[in-house]
Amino acid sequence: MAKIIYAGEGCTGCKACSVACVHAHDRAFGLRATRIWVVREEPLTDYPVVCHHCDKPPCRDACPVGAITKRDDGLVVVNERTCIGCGACVEACPFGAMGMHPTKRVAINCDLCGGDPACVKFCPPRVLKLQVPEAVAQEQRVGG
Amino acid sequence: MSYPLGGYTGQILRVDLERKKTLAEPLPKELALNYLGGTGFAARILFDELRAGLDPLAPENRLIFATGPLTGTLWPTSGRWAAYAKAPLTGIWGEAHCGGFFGPELKYAGYDMLVIHGRAKGPVYLWIDDGTVEVRSAKDLLGRNTAETTDMVRERHGDREIEVACIGQAGERLVRFACIMNNYQDALGRTGLGAVMGSKNLKAVAVRGTRAVTVADDDKFMELVDDANQRVLKQSQAQQMMKYGTPLLVAYKSNIGELATRNHQTGLFEGADRLNADTIREKYYAKTRSCFVCAIQCKKVNRIRKGKYSGTISGGPEYEGIYALGTNCGIDDFGAVLKANQLCNLYGLDVISAGCVIAWLMECYQRGLVTRKQCDGLNLKWGNSDVMVTLIERIAFREGIGDLLAQGSVQAARKLGKGTERYVMHVKGMEISGQDGRTHRSAALTHAISVRGADHLRSLVTVDQLGYEDTAAKRYGKDKLPEICDPYGERYKALVVKDAEDTFAIRDSLIVCWYSCGWPPIFWMSDFAAASAAATGVKEFGDVKNMYRIAERICNLRRAFNVREGLSAKDDMIPERFTREPMPEGPGKGQVANLEVMLREYYRLRKWDADGKPTERTLTELGLADVAAELKRPRKR
Repeated sequence: MAKIIYAGEGCTGCKACSVACVHAHDRAFGLRATRIWVVREEPLTDYPVVCHHCDKPPCRDACPVGAITKRDDGLVVVNERTCIGCGACVEACPFGAMGMHPTKRVAINCDLCGGDPACVKFCPPRVLKLQVPEAVAQEQRVGG
Repeated sequence: MSYPLGGYTGQILRVDLERKKTLAEPLPKELALNYLGGTGFAARILFDELRAGLDPLAPENRLIFATGPLTGTLWPTSGRWAAYAKAPLTGIWGEAHCGGFFGPELKYAGYDMLVIHGRAKGPVYLWIDDGTVEVRSAKDLLGRNTAETTDMVRERHGDREIEVACIGQAGERLVRFACIMNNYQDALGRTGLGAVMGSKNLKAVAVRGTRAVTVADDDKFMELVDDANQRVLKQSQAQQMMKYGTPLLVAYKSNIGELATRNHQTGLFEGADRLNADTIREKYYAKTRSCFVCAIQCKKVNRIRKGKYSGTISGGPEYEGIYALGTNCGIDDFGAVLKANQLCNLYGLDVISAGCVIAWLMECYQRGLVTRKQCDGLNLKWGNSDVMVTLIERIAFREGIGDLLAQGSVQAARKLGKGTERYVMHVKGMEISGQDGRTHRSAALTHAISVRGADHLRSLVTVDQLGYEDTAAKRYGKDKLPEICDPYGERYKALVVKDAEDTFAIRDSLIVCWYSCGWPPIFWMSDFAAASAAATGVKEFGDVKNMYRIAERICNLRRAFNVREGLSAKDDMIPERFTREPMPEGPGKGQVANLEVMLREYYRLRKWDADGKPTERTLTELGLADVAAELKRPRKR
């Protein structure tokens, strides 16, 4: 399945992806309710972190109430009504790509905005893509 | 949150450090409607709450951190925020703007503005965690540089995403041009606001904001945001900015003979090629970074790979840093400039004033007005980069000659005497930024009238300097060409400077960046009006005429602040070098600035009297009758 892919270089650390993500979901501008994070470390490190929609999702396995499922279309989704906000999935994700909504207090992850992700649209340096990993690998084989 | 206007959070946070009391008060709707945000808010508060003659380092001075209705939204360049106080460097209006991420975080914590009162009994830092506000001990942070302070505060609170604004060793020691740093390389640079923090025993302000900002008409606003982003991404000079950042200006300015060199003695620097954007890109470029949500992405990190400063990795320098620490000191070693720029950021020194005070001392040395013995035995010949770097350290720690320089060049010259005053390149006590009024005539007026002293950012005009004829024709009418774009003529310069000052007053209240507004010329008043109206829901903001009225109100109020401190037309001066010493070489050879004629016209357009003071009528027309009354009150001096 296609997911949000970062090419590995070119991120400027501006966090536009995070703000666009919050806006797409909440119609408000903020950072802490984001589902895509930017790691910004001195002096040269900037990169985004977002849900990989794993085939064997550790977040799903960690959830004590079965609120997280891997759908047939590949998406890992949180059922906000079932979620008890314990944070077990947040701890379990090896990428740190599961978050907790600051006001709703439920787990949140990338939902690909229904197919037209706001982060990809807004990224000023255009380094986020909605792509199938295998296609990225093909490109790398050709380009590398 | 249910504030009736969009874009704002609707709260002002007041903190009294003396009593350790904090109070979140509602943002008065009248303040928003009449003053918009940022600079407008600060103008009203500082005029109302400070008295004339107040020592800027006294506890009664207010330190304001402000945002505007666009801060924290997706509008490109809306990561800006600003600090305000009566300025330690100049004793007049103090204002400094910054990129980074602190402004949005403050809004996400729920505050449009933070107003700090009083002086803490010992070293403290302020911790703002949404609605929880605490004044905490900063004993262990004392003596730490700005990067260490930021790291330690983040570590203490166990959150790497906390935003920290702090001072370094220079601010602690009340260096008159100490800055406030945010996010390692973003500086609230000018006018010495770091010394205000130092005087309040306030080492840092740390913020965590988990809330969000909403706008009034989300669909319309996002439509404008998309359009604005497209315009930025398409503009060819914005693309150049993405690639090179502001060092682009080194070559531009070299070509027009305005690359200020050796304390502005000339506009041609023989070592310019070693400091220009192509050289930096080729030899030193390491990475592009960006402020909050910005499409321009002008921030460059550079790395020195060889020589004395090998291993130095740091953001910057901007053009102004290359000018102040480089060309103006006759230095062409980029490694030394990057190192000095980094030290200024770590110790918390304004790069421009630091470089200029050193350039002034170097010129005094050139002319035999100071001896080597007076300067700690240092050899102050032009281009001595080792000495320049050493002096940055001495200024920050107030050691040896650094203690004198830490007072700013005007005060230092006053103490040194012997004619050294003549070579201080300043306006109203603030060291001059990297323009030259001889070869860029509107810059002469901009420097002269700027509310915070020799500053380019409040009204710098680029249509004449860089020849934007289409932009000039669109904004001011074809009939004003070619004179309006003539860098060596005074005609129409008052008009364009006033228009820029008004537009930038709005820019500084929203708050958005100078890049994409002044240069390259993408957005102007009508764009700001449309974005403000959509964000706030205030229809009147969408009326360009009303926006100009708000801008004039802000400009008059800031000016009134300075008039109350005793300033008048006599202070709207520029260094004699620009009016009496013709440019000695280059394309602008023989040029001098005729300031008088531009000033008279500027006062007329502002409807001020011949002494440069806002008249009662002008103030009253702008809804500032109370300000007129205050200015009429007899002074106790």
